Amino acid sequence: MRLWLDAMWAIMRRDAILFMSYRAQLVSQFLTPLFSLVIFYYISQLFTPSSVDSPGGYFGFVVVGLVIVQILTISLGVMPVTVRQELVSGTIERFLVSAHGPVNGILGAMLFPMVNALFSGTLMLILATLFFGLPLEATAGLAIPVALLGTLAFMPFALFLVAMVMAFKQVSSASGFIVTGVAIVGGLYFPIALLPDWIEWTSEVQPFTPATDLLRHLLVGTPLEHPAEIELLKLVLFALALLPLSLYFLRRAIRYGQRTGTVAEY
Amino acid sequence: MPVLEITDLYHRWKGPKPPVLDEVSLSLRAGEVTWIGGRNGAGKTTLLRLAAGILLPQRGTVRIGDLTPRHGGNHYQRQIGFLSAGDRSLQARMRVSQQLDYWARLAYVPRERRRELVEQALGQFGLEEFAQRRVDRMSMGQRQRIRLAMAFLHEPSVVLLDEPRNSLDDEGYALLNEQSERATARGATILWCSPRGEDRVIDCDAGYSLVDGKLERVV
Repeated sequence: MRLWLDAMWAIMRRDAILFMSYRAQLVSQFLTPLFSLVIFYYISQLFTPSSVDSPGGYFGFVVVGLVIVQILTISLGVMPVTVRQELVSGTIERFLVSAHGPVNGILGAMLFPMVNALFSGTLMLILATLFFGLPLEATAGLAIPVALLGTLAFMPFALFLVAMVMAFKQVSSASGFIVTGVAIVGGLYFPIALLPDWIEWTSEVQPFTPATDLLRHLLVGTPLEHPAEIELLKLVLFALALLPLSLYFLRRAIRYGQRTGTVAEY
Repeated sequence: MPVLEITDLYHRWKGPKPPVLDEVSLSLRAGEVTWIGGRNGAGKTTLLRLAAGILLPQRGTVRIGDLTPRHGGNHYQRQIGFLSAGDRSLQARMRVSQQLDYWARLAYVPRERRRELVEQALGQFGLEEFAQRRVDRMSMGQRQRIRLAMAFLHEPSVVLLDEPRNSLDDEGYALLNEQSERATARGATILWCSPRGEDRVIDCDAGYSLVDGKLERVV
């Protein structure tokens, strides 16, 4: 277990070194959320939608959605690209020939994007509070364990995409499609109640809606439609059901590539 | 006593082509160096990748004792040191010492030996003075030394080398030979593949040529 943890730490440290070595990336990661906040702050000044039942008005409502989009973009969007880069640069070969193995290696490669996503989401909330007067609730601290649980529930989607990269080599359009789709059916920019009835059911079959609802409740005091325990249970169940399934698909995709020889292709 | 046992290995790439490996069998013994040559595309790299567990056999087996790549898990990989052809598989923006430490951790080198083995590998391949230099600022020959250092660092019992002389100068080649000798002296076996007739310049115990998917003994 100690050696496993050491290897995981090594991968996370590697990715942190790579990230920090591109300084412009650091600046853009700070500026991009700031620009998003500016846009949505002024949009929220234009109108007061009656369908948004949130103490911070539409700005308070959408900020939590933006935080989740930020987390999804970094975790879901970055992971398949990262693994594709590993294939192209041949560094995935190190995982394949190492005692740590390719599945652990890929899981390790998800750590830094996840930590970075959580950090980036927190930064966005701080900016919204400092510069735009977002009124944070006293329960905001509880959002941290919920965000971690939400990240665990989101992780399988990134693993599915990575499995597709291992099998088909290129899925950049799929990750963009998923993030945009989640933004619609997860109620990230507007309340789900505004969606047509025939599509509303989609908000019940993925973990993004309960995670968003819980985070909104804890951060800005938006009332919950279902009791908090039910929303938490949904997140736990999604994580428990989808994580093993996504790991199974990843293993299968790698094995397929190892047998056909395509694991070394890009 | 064989360390690595390859039996009836068969591999065919997609499409209407003959198999690249056709019932290939090979025993690599402790303390020996085995060379395999053959023209470009003969299947040397495929054979090494199968031995390393990067690819899984379509037919036949690859074993180290009771361990196979599919069922031995990390115990099999701990025995393998692998150098791929080309200049890939390096983390470009890491420093040389970071790169070796990273590999030592992936290879599950115990904590108490990690620093010692990293420093040893730096010394063995003449990399001490570049330890703090970023990998993407190194020459091709220096990068090849880093890749070789990773293949030997964790003291594997099977060292698989695909065109190890690539970009090496005379000093680098001498260091490679020195480390090969040191590895065989501690009981490791080395499988060295290259397209040129290196059986004439390296001190190998057995030499083969891979022709039409079959191994032909030449030394």
